[in-house]
Amino acid sequence: MSEKSDLHEPKGGMADVLYEKRVKIYPREVHGIFARLRTLGVVVLLGIFYGLPWLRWDDRQAVLLDLPARQFHLFGITFWPQDFFYLAALLIIAALSLFFFTALAGRLWCGFACPQTVWTEVFLWIERKIEGDRLRQMKLDRAPWTGRKMFIKGGKHFIWIVFSLYTGLTFVGYFTPIIELSQKLVNFSQGPWEAFWVLFYGFATYGNAGWLREQVCIYMCPYARFQGAMFDKDTLIISYDEKRGEPRGSRKRGTDYQDKGLGSCIDCSMCVQVCPTGIDIRDGLQYQCIGCAACIDVCDSVMEKMDYPKGLIRYTTEHALEGTKTHVLRPRMFVYGGMLLLVMAALLYAVTQRVPLDVDVIRDRNALYRETSEGLIENIYTIKVINKDQRDHQYHLQVSGLENIKLINRMGDFTVRSGQVLNVPIYVQIDPVDLPATSNTIQFTLVATDDANITHEEEARFIGAAVR
Amino acid sequence: MSSVEASKPVAKPTPVIQRVIAILWPAFLTSGVATIITFTLFDPQEISACVGGPQISRLGAYTVGFFSLWLLTTLTSVLTCYFQRPCELTNRANGS
Ligand code: SF4
Ligand code: SF4
Repeated sequence: MSEKSDLHEPKGGMADVLYEKRVKIYPREVHGIFARLRTLGVVVLLGIFYGLPWLRWDDRQAVLLDLPARQFHLFGITFWPQDFFYLAALLIIAALSLFFFTALAGRLWCGFACPQTVWTEVFLWIERKIEGDRLRQMKLDRAPWTGRKMFIKGGKHFIWIVFSLYTGLTFVGYFTPIIELSQKLVNFSQGPWEAFWVLFYGFATYGNAGWLREQVCIYMCPYARFQGAMFDKDTLIISYDEKRGEPRGSRKRGTDYQDKGLGSCIDCSMCVQVCPTGIDIRDGLQYQCIGCAACIDVCDSVMEKMDYPKGLIRYTTEHALEGTKTHVLRPRMFVYGGMLLLVMAALLYAVTQRVPLDVDVIRDRNALYRETSEGLIENIYTIKVINKDQRDHQYHLQVSGLENIKLINRMGDFTVRSGQVLNVPIYVQIDPVDLPATSNTIQFTLVATDDANITHEEEARFIGAAVR
Repeated sequence: MSSVEASKPVAKPTPVIQRVIAILWPAFLTSGVATIITFTLFDPQEISACVGGPQISRLGAYTVGFFSLWLLTTLTSVLTCYFQRPCELTNRANGS
């Protein structure tokens, strides 16, 4: 942790980059092991995103963050706003995993899993299918506006927009039941808010993946700004082997380049052409590099054609480049990893111990206490019972904490439907001789009659004039 | 980054799109967080039951809430950007 990576300082001054007018980047298509991994990532992640809302569980949408009903269904469990803790824990886990993997292998997230990358990849694929490869796209953009150009461009945007709208529908489908939503959309009877969010999210997809692309990473992404802080000299980064590559220069295949005093880099500029953020990795690691490994793939294929050993651009560490040993197991990894395991264990424990029942005790506001005709002290409460389970339950209420305390519950054992709230008015009475103090702590215990594990104890105050 | 900027005050004007992003985007992020916290703590229907006012669905209330917060945070961003303008520019604009 002591060694700070200096590879991450932007070279040449950031102001230049920040204030430059954006030049459109046409990333060249790549083939290779990392390109295949990314495609796999795209297929799996998008498969999950588009498929999950359609999954059913117990006759209900399996994953439904039901905002209108203020209930979050996650397969067998239903969460409530009161369960905010779990959401917070999940977010902490996500952040810690990001720290862990960034320290280990740099911007893995960016290159392979970030929604920005994943959707841009799809949009690029559509663009390539319609407009052709990099050179054709550039030629088309330079060409004057003819009918053919309008047809091609229009077709591309049309498909992008349809795809974006479907993405918007899927997104909203996580928050309102998707089957009903799509049925309503088909005959235009959806609510105005749903329609708005489908359009809004669809527009965001279209804008981010179609137009903004690498600008999102460079100007908008908070992670891209601070990920450098998690790097050290043992972090896996994508790097050009300067010692081996320089001096760069073109040459004929099969010539003895070492004889001419040249390095392995043939200066074909392929690594620049494939880069989605338009940088030259040979200038060193830059903060614009999203770690997509496209330059590794393409450089390896060039090296293969030249019959040179692969790996002129490769995953390596600063220590390895300097010729020293790389330490994978270092304090930083233990700190991030340990914290991660701890929070995960805590969350797991909390979820397994979670009782799907919530009880609130509200004292009657009108009187502190009153005396009954038999001379007993009486306090009045409302017990608010929230059944957070996915089944209905019948509950039994008890009071304890003082000797000879008596509960008068006119409703007897009561049933609360799944996901419902019930207010139960009750009276608690005690003989003043049994009252030790003016203010006393008592406990209400609620147990489901069909499942003794579903139980909740809540403390309350019992107030009355003690005679002792 | 600040040191770079200090040594090179506004080399070339920032493209409009990036200025718009710099204002809207941070506002979007913070208002998103604020919306989640607000509506976890308060149920919009309980609020409207207390305050009165027009009946609106929960989804509608969330949407209105989010966009009002976004408006507010955008205003903050705009002011930050405005006050961040180098004094030089203000002097020039005032004709001195
Ligand atoms: S820089 Fe940000 S937006 Fe870009 S790929 Fe990485 S995480 Fe995603
Ligand atoms: S430099 Fe290489 S790894 Fe980095 S973004 Fe460009 S192509 Fe991807």
